[in-house]
Amino acid sequence: MQTTHVTTAKTMIVRLKIWRQDSPKDAGRFEEYTMDNVLIDMSFLEMLDELNEKLLKEGKRPVEFESDCREGICGTCSLMISGQAHGPIRGATTCQLYMRSFKSGELITIEPWRARAFPVLRDLVTDRRAFDRIQMAGGYTGAKTGPHADANAMLVPKDLSDRAMDAAACIGCGACVAACPNASASLFTSAKITQLALLPQGHPDRKRRALRMVAQMDKEGFGSCSNLQECEAACPKRISIQNIAIMKQEYLKAAISADYREGLGDADA
Amino acid sequence: MSFELKSGVPEGPLAQKWDKYKADMKLVNPANKRKYTVIVVGTGLAGGSAAASLAELGYNVKSFCIHDSARRAHSIAAQGGINAAKAYPNDGDSVWRLFYDTIKGGDYRSREANVYRLAQNSTSIIDQCVSQGVPFAREYSGELANRSFGGAQVSRTFYARGQTGQQLLLGAYSQLMKEVDKGKVQLFPYHELLDVVMVDGKCRGIITREINTGKVERHAADVVIMATGGYGRVYYLSTNAMNANATAIWRAHRRGAAFGNPCYVQIHPTCIPVSGTHQAKLTLMSESLRNDGRVWVPKKKEDLAKAPSTIPEEDRDYFLERKYPSFGNLVPRDVASRNAKDVCDEGRGVGASGRAVYLDFSAAIKRDGESVVREKYGNLFDMYHEITAENPYKSPMRIYPAVHYTMGGLWVDYSLQTTLPGLFAAGEANFSDHGANRLGASALMQGLSDGYFILPYTITNYLGTHATELLKKVETSHPAFEQAEKQVRDEIARLIANGKKGKRTPNEIFKELGLVTWDYVGMARDDKGLKIAIEKIAKLQHEYDNNMLLNDDQHLNTALQTAQRLGDYLELARLIAQDALHRTESCGGHFRVESQQDGEAKRDDEHFAYAAAWEYKGKGQDAILHKEQLVFENVKPSTRSYK
Amino acid sequence: MVSLKQLFSSSLGRKYLMGASGLALVIFIILHLLGNLTLYAGHGEPMNTYSARLHSLGMGLIIAEVGLLLTFVIHIIAAIQVTMTSKNARPIGYASTETKGGPTKNTMTSRNMIVTGLVLLLFLIVHLKQMRFGPNVADGYTASLEGVMVHDIYRVVVETFQDIKWVIFYSASMFFLGFHFRHGFWSAFQSLGAINPRWSKPIYAMGLIIALLLTAGFFFMPIYIYATQGGAS
Repeated sequence: MQTTHVTTAKTMIVRLKIWRQDSPKDAGRFEEYTMDNVLIDMSFLEMLDELNEKLLKEGKRPVEFESDCREGICGTCSLMISGQAHGPIRGATTCQLYMRSFKSGELITIEPWRARAFPVLRDLVTDRRAFDRIQMAGGYTGAKTGPHADANAMLVPKDLSDRAMDAAACIGCGACVAACPNASASLFTSAKITQLALLPQGHPDRKRRALRMVAQMDKEGFGSCSNLQECEAACPKRISIQNIAIMKQEYLKAAISADYREGLGDADA
Repeated sequence: MSFELKSGVPEGPLAQKWDKYKADMKLVNPANKRKYTVIVVGTGLAGGSAAASLAELGYNVKSFCIHDSARRAHSIAAQGGINAAKAYPNDGDSVWRLFYDTIKGGDYRSREANVYRLAQNSTSIIDQCVSQGVPFAREYSGELANRSFGGAQVSRTFYARGQTGQQLLLGAYSQLMKEVDKGKVQLFPYHELLDVVMVDGKCRGIITREINTGKVERHAADVVIMATGGYGRVYYLSTNAMNANATAIWRAHRRGAAFGNPCYVQIHPTCIPVSGTHQAKLTLMSESLRNDGRVWVPKKKEDLAKAPSTIPEEDRDYFLERKYPSFGNLVPRDVASRNAKDVCDEGRGVGASGRAVYLDFSAAIKRDGESVVREKYGNLFDMYHEITAENPYKSPMRIYPAVHYTMGGLWVDYSLQTTLPGLFAAGEANFSDHGANRLGASALMQGLSDGYFILPYTITNYLGTHATELLKKVETSHPAFEQAEKQVRDEIARLIANGKKGKRTPNEIFKELGLVTWDYVGMARDDKGLKIAIEKIAKLQHEYDNNMLLNDDQHLNTALQTAQRLGDYLELARLIAQDALHRTESCGGHFRVESQQDGEAKRDDEHFAYAAAWEYKGKGQDAILHKEQLVFENVKPSTRSYK
Repeated sequence: MVSLKQLFSSSLGRKYLMGASGLALVIFIILHLLGNLTLYAGHGEPMNTYSARLHSLGMGLIIAEVGLLLTFVIHIIAAIQVTMTSKNARPIGYASTETKGGPTKNTMTSRNMIVTGLVLLLFLIVHLKQMRFGPNVADGYTASLEGVMVHDIYRVVVETFQDIKWVIFYSASMFFLGFHFRHGFWSAFQSLGAINPRWSKPIYAMGLIIALLLTAGFFFMPIYIYATQGGAS
């Protein structure tokens, strides 16, 4: 018999404990909600959509949370779900999480990403612009718009290209920071440094990139990496901490050999 | 306000038109570039690449996006690839062939000169992206790899696993961030555009609302580019992102920008079927899957209940391969979608809802092995598995068409300028290059062509042409800004005031609008249905104006955003229906039941070989139609055949 | 080249210091264990010989000891800075956290390197006070080695471990050493960027072996003394 996911109109009861905070300045608190008749085939965010419909009708302020593409690529959704970044499924974002991953009646705690560098704007929405500033510090090749050599003029070995793609798959969601017991942004920063260190296009400014991006990461107030590898476990794109090791190499090489003007002084200016 | 539609296509042979434009254009000297401010709204492929490129030229750029970061625009979700006439596989591709395929794929409803320029730029885009470190797929030789997409018989699609859009967007984003670091681009994240400001007949600024604080702001500039994407969310359920919306283009339309071909909506054939009323959006399965997946339904209705693997080969109907032997499963999207709908209408649709067809990989797995299939499509298969809890390596996927892309958008001339002087539109936000149907892997190409290789020239030309006027700066204290800001504030205040006594949530009305547009303005349209749609939309508009519930909170408030955007969708839905009603031919994504021949769409070149550009006449009023006649000097419109 | 101050005040710079000093300390502790094995070899003579030979190095020993002290200080300062930065990076904690499993090395011990480290620091102070700066020749702790008077370090050791409370303190502390090494060994390589996917697992496994051997090696010494010479005094 054919298995069909659409006909299983199975429902469940969901108990939620959600962080509510009116503004960055206000103190937050947890509030509890119960929802009956939640379809197990609903996505987690669709369940929250329903909760918000209900709150709106009850004259209460809906829970603010972020999401956009709802297919795991834009990096907008976040949420610490019962202590795990993006919930219990490895290699998936919150928007790819379905209610069938939870037990009926289970209490689900939902919190925002917690880090000094990611202040809470409201409820579950955090400000992740610190990542943009790290990117600004050097997460690019210097290529300008205009004529360039033919794309096949430079051959790139497939294995390097594939490894660069592994690193480039980062969606900038911040789960690495959220899951890290130290709130370190090493995985995010290293993914970009590694991508461009592996590809020849990134070589001309690789020293400047490593020095400036690390300096910016530190300046944002992220924690230090303690090599716990929880970031990799939580990363929806399974980005490896090998990238962090490569960042360490890149940074050390740059710190020893780079011209001073390429270095930290420049980033602080 | 009335306007004249001047396409502004340069004289001369097709292949030399863009060169001629560049040769004749006005320039701006480097010292003067510093005096100009360009506003770019949107940071997707078109907006991000335009903002970065213009900043590199020396202009001061203000870049606006609704997200926290410029990296999150929905271009990021494009999976399959980007076309370019590089002809690396030596399979007979050329700029001409890409141009021809695109014009034909668009069912002869696009402007020749624009499409040719797009094909010309395609090769530079690949060079540009590679130089940015975009990790395109490569062969063991170290050269770039290609694959095929619908509507083409050559392999010209470049890709980065199933995340091509992401990688191209991150390329543009990184280039943009480089300019932010240099101070040439100022970023305005969390900003939603709510109006454009016209001063002395030229667009000189915008009004925005900062989403995270609710602050309404004025921003002045010398020229404004809108790269705010398409309007597929009018259908509620689509593959578009939750935040994708039509507000920016609609507000520009209200100010006088003509809206081009609103009824050209692309319904993508390979999406995961709808599974309940709770769904907020649909998920696309990349078209690249049709390279190796075979689409079929059972021949006999009594086989519907059987497990697909138990249905013998001779009882399966590979309907695309049967009807279109030369293109097979790689027919263009509109054709594939319509055929899927037809077999479901015949009662041969699979799955519980009966609204799905199989996309089967068993032949590919048998031929190449599971590991090869996994390498090509692994992430898509995983995605399918997560959503449906079914394993596509073991049993075929079930797919059904869903709204994906809008070919229509703000009408623009050859320089991408709308009918509002000083307001340009790029990417999906404009109507320019895809006619009535877009080919797969062409959206990324168009967005980047507009942003990297067209706007840097045409914006310079505009600023150079109007230098005397534009060098006189407009302050945000100008009455035009004051009036526009007041209008925005009043609208928000009215929504909130009405919201206190309303009963229905914005989402409820929105969902209902989605059902109306999907049922009556979807894959098959007819005179009666379209008229019903217009009536139903009017009722929903009434509901929206008088009975919508909203919480009194002007800060970060998603419900308020939804309500605002819904107001624009309602008006736009009406315009889509009006456009679809007037165009009694079938072409591309627009299928009129009344206009078909032997079960295939029938175009009417005699009466409809034009682009429709609609002029806004007020809420609830019929818009006025203007026509830009399409001239085909280089290709002869013929019946599209993929047989 | 960037200034050393900038390099070592960056988050990565501190990790280089942590990793390098950590590996140096691993080597020292392995040597220390090997030296201490002389304890089992006989009633005092082998250990006192080993001790005497070390002291015969004179200036060399002092340099080595100062170097060792500096290594400890660097390791400790860097550890405290890393911990402070990380505490500061998350002012409001989660109501609950749970590891996501998979490749993670996020365990009670790896999360609490600072705790095991501080216990080891306490141990180190006590240990130095008792052994390095404990009763010496002037206090009459002498032994004759082929006619030469040397420091009877063996007696210091034996006397310490005749007291059950020190046996417990020393042996228990060695568990903390084990926990610290379990994460620390592999972590040092990762901190230095000296790792790749092929070596990562073997190095992590080696960390476990070293942790077990060192813990076991040191753990049984006090117990052995107590068991064999506990009632002797």
